[in-house]
Amino acid sequence: MHALNDAWAAVNAFMASGGPVLLLIAGLTFFMWTLIFERVFYFKGGLKRDVQGAVDAWEARPERKSWNAHQIRYAMISRVSEKVQSNMDMIQTCVALAPLFGLLGTVWGMINVFEVLAITGGGDAKQMASGVSMATIPTMAGMVTALSGVFANTYVTRTAERETQLLEDHLTMDH
Amino acid sequence: MKTIAKRVLAVAAAGLISVSAVAQDEKATSLDQLLKMVQQSKIAESAEHKKREAEFRRQKSNQASLLSQAENTRASEEARSAALEKKYEEQELLVQQKRQQLDERMGSLNELFGHMTSTAGDLRANLDTSLVSAQYPGRAEFLDQLIDKMNSQTKLPTIQEIERLWYELQRETVEAGKVVKFNSTVILPDGEQAEQEVVRVGNFNIVSNGKYLEMNDNHKMAELIRQPDGKYQSMAADLQAATSGFTAFGVDPTGPTGGSYLKAMIASPSIVERWHQGKIVGYIITAVGVFAVLLAIWRLIVLSGVNAKVNSQLRSSTPNTNNPLGRVLSVAEENKGVDGETLELKMEEAVLKERPAIESGLNLLKIIAMVAPLLGLLGTVTGMIITFQAITIFGAGDPKAMAGGISSALVTTVLGLCVAIPTVLLHTVVNGRAKRILHILDEQSAGIVAENAERK
Repeated sequence: MHALNDAWAAVNAFMASGGPVLLLIAGLTFFMWTLIFERVFYFKGGLKRDVQGAVDAWEARPERKSWNAHQIRYAMISRVSEKVQSNMDMIQTCVALAPLFGLLGTVWGMINVFEVLAITGGGDAKQMASGVSMATIPTMAGMVTALSGVFANTYVTRTAERETQLLEDHLTMDH
Repeated sequence: MKTIAKRVLAVAAAGLISVSAVAQDEKATSLDQLLKMVQQSKIAESAEHKKREAEFRRQKSNQASLLSQAENTRASEEARSAALEKKYEEQELLVQQKRQQLDERMGSLNELFGHMTSTAGDLRANLDTSLVSAQYPGRAEFLDQLIDKMNSQTKLPTIQEIERLWYELQRETVEAGKVVKFNSTVILPDGEQAEQEVVRVGNFNIVSNGKYLEMNDNHKMAELIRQPDGKYQSMAADLQAATSGFTAFGVDPTGPTGGSYLKAMIASPSIVERWHQGKIVGYIITAVGVFAVLLAIWRLIVLSGVNAKVNSQLRSSTPNTNNPLGRVLSVAEENKGVDGETLELKMEEAVLKERPAIESGLNLLKIIAMVAPLLGLLGTVTGMIITFQAITIFGAGDPKAMAGGISSALVTTVLGLCVAIPTVLLHTVVNGRAKRILHILDEQSAGIVAENAERK
């Protein structure tokens, strides 16, 4: 319990020195990782069922040669791939937004630094330091979020591509 | 002729002035009369001179006696001066003796008084900025008197005064650790004075009715014209209302040395003031941002409606022309007899027709998301240019002016990012909706037609 309190206090101190933008970055990170985990769980669970359903429906068809069969196969793959691809755009956007949030924090912190400079005339290094930490911490946080997101996003995208490809291979045509 | 007459008149006027009283009540009506008057006054004057001569003669005899009198006085005063001088010398000796006696008797006390003087001086400086002084006025005057007394050669502080110094030191220490309520006059921002209940938090802050006060040079409390955030004001109100227990309160740690943190916090502009610092570029960015959000919301509503109709179309087997999928399927319905490849081409054509309506606005949103940070950069650079132009005119002697200019120039960058970030997010959401519909049209419409044909 004591260690938990200490950790919570450390998080609070970090948030306070990073300024309000850090909260936004925290929210963005949480949102992004929620989407990533949702995808990972889908790949591990729901995807198998969807693929199996499509394959079964395809195998149950009396013929797999005609124009109709071609189009139906195409539509089946599209439906599964739509499920596989859902939320991927949002994850990518979040990865792209994280550095922008960092930049926002940087500029916000710089405004604070210059404001203190405008009030004190550069005499108060201590107060300026709070602005500098407000400028640098969100940049770092934004970068960390973006980097972690890039790796996760690559994994998720590649898995999605592979699964779609596999599905296409499973739905064999008779010639 | 005229000039002669003028001269005569001038001479006559000069004569009149010298004659004074005699001629003042009589006025010459003609030149002859004037001449007569001048003659008369001459006679009168000579008589007066004779009288004065006699007077002088009479007084001359007096002079000798006066002189001797004065000499006597001088002699007596000189004697008195000698006597006084002698007395002064005697007393000077006495004073020296007494001083010596004082020094001897004071002994180590001298050092003690030195410490007391410096302590009193320190306390005097502390009390000047101490908020406790607002509650207990008149302490500085007492310390001034005490310091004067100890610095003078001839006076010694009394026991009572020494004890009071100790008491004041103690009181300052004790009071600086207390949160107290008391009534006092407060100068309100409009210049009026009012009797209010104020709360003093140690030596850090004074608040009243949820407002922060400051102590001015005359140890009077004045309400700050600009107040800190509402959060801190409600904390102050809570503190005043509290009777026991703990209450959260925003304390200025620099309070005992003048409260520079509070001043800096109040001086920093509010969000709205910052927004106005962005000037024309800031307003343009805001307008673009508002437009982008409205556009995104409108597209979102439209696409949600289309999406719902497409979903219901997916469930029904008869094509309905109120939605894009229905229109594409109706093309297939009309061309039932044709072969597969022709049908595919016809349907592709129908899909191509539906695309623009679904995708409209998306590119604009994307462009706004890209342009907003650039606009912000533009505002920052123009702001910097203005700042540096001011520096070329007024010189870089004032870092405050430069820093203020740069700080307001950066506001547009913040605004640009604040517009770009939600626009990117909204674009993703709207694009997702549009993409789903297009997927169905592009990839699944032919499949749906085939499924419908097989079901029959």
